[in-house]
Amino acid sequence: MQISGRFIDDFKTDRKGITPPLPAVLRLVPIGFYCAIAVAILLSAVFLLQYRIATQKRDGHRAQAGTLATQTANTLSERTALEVQIKKAINLQTWVSGSRPLQPLVVEISRSMGPKANILDLSLVRDENAPAQVALSLKIGTDSVRQLDTTLEKIASQQYRAFSPTQTLGQGELDYRATLVRQGPKQTSPADPVQ
Amino acid sequence: MTSSDLKSVLNFSSFRSEPDDPSAAWKKRFPGKRSVLFGVGRASLSWQAIGKGGGTDDVETVRADPKEILTSSAASIKDKTDDGWCLVSMNTRYTISLENNLSRRPGSEELLKTNARSVLGGRYERGKLYAMTHNPETNSSLLVSFEEDQTRRAESMFREFGFRVGRICCGTYVLLRHALSVTNTSKGSDKPLSTLYVVLCEGAVCALVQDQDRWLELRSRTDVYDADISAVGDILAPFHARLAPEVGITLICDTPLSGIEEVLSSHFPGRAITDLSKPGLLAGLLTQN
Repeated sequence: MQISGRFIDDFKTDRKGITPPLPAVLRLVPIGFYCAIAVAILLSAVFLLQYRIATQKRDGHRAQAGTLATQTANTLSERTALEVQIKKAINLQTWVSGSRPLQPLVVEISRSMGPKANILDLSLVRDENAPAQVALSLKIGTDSVRQLDTTLEKIASQQYRAFSPTQTLGQGELDYRATLVRQGPKQTSPADPVQ
Repeated sequence: MTSSDLKSVLNFSSFRSEPDDPSAAWKKRFPGKRSVLFGVGRASLSWQAIGKGGGTDDVETVRADPKEILTSSAASIKDKTDDGWCLVSMNTRYTISLENNLSRRPGSEELLKTNARSVLGGRYERGKLYAMTHNPETNSSLLVSFEEDQTRRAESMFREFGFRVGRICCGTYVLLRHALSVTNTSKGSDKPLSTLYVVLCEGAVCALVQDQDRWLELRSRTDVYDADISAVGDILAPFHARLAPEVGITLICDTPLSGIEEVLSSHFPGRAITDLSKPGLLAGLLTQN
């Protein structure tokens, strides 16, 4: 014979609406809930930390970008200044290059000046449409017309021929204007230096 | 689903049995909680504090009207509990009888609580609560009955003094079932036990004669003894002549009673006495199951 003594007969008045306990496996629900909260808190802390680090990095990068922008602006202004200088130098170089064919003419005009004469103003303008023609405007400080003859001989020695010359002799000043036309390539001897 | 339902899930109380759930063991309903076991007699009240771990204090018994005792002592007793939860052992105004041919249909023991008439038939009495234990080898059964009004009055009385009754039972019946369970452990044994079960609980006496697998005779009386246990012998004396000489006595008390073995020996000379009693036995049975 076997009788179980584990059951206790209860005579208490049963309360209405007594619900049995939920299955133990459903404990996973609140456990999961609390785990989710813990993980959320942990992740929030990690994200907050990373956010602060990223904010610090961003601020650092912004400060660096500001510094670099200032440096860039300075560099650009320096570059602009350099470009202006370069443009000036190129213009000068262009002018020098462009005036090189006229240099012998200018040198001869300068050397033609006698002891009592000086050049007050000299202008040589090449016509873009007729590069062979050069408008000469020369103002010489002298009382003698002979000086102009000497100068014109020197100009002629450079294979330039004067057309439409006009000259005005004032008080100590001689104003001469003409259009110079190059007559042809200069016949240079092998002994002449190359200019 | 209400917020209280969510709260009970989140604090895990939904996974524990409700304190009022009689189908759950006491330790599952009140884990780690203090409670107190009351023993209600006709003109006495005893109480025994049960600690968080199930340990028990000594039994305190006062011979007077239970209501008067509670009037003066309820506050101090309640301090020994958590939330006032208590167990009640009704030791008076019950009947334990030996019946034959009770219904043993599946679920009849549960049906006994809700529709006792369908189980007991002609033995049913209106206004009574029943519980039963079948002998698995024969057609006999132990049947315990209470006046329903008596249990309701007891509940009201304890509720009036701020206690919350978690369980009401018949201590004698619980002890008798325990004695039967620990002595009849093997199914279909070649040598079934023959003994006279003697159960003593707060003045109540119950004796059951078991001859091998058969329950032959049962006698139950309440309010038989108080401080003087000599009256127990008078109730049990008639069994001596009807027992075979080799049949011993299995004694079980809610708490060890000094002098009971001498009383039994004087009325049952030469019979072996097996004492299953130990301190806090009834409280232990009620809180462990």
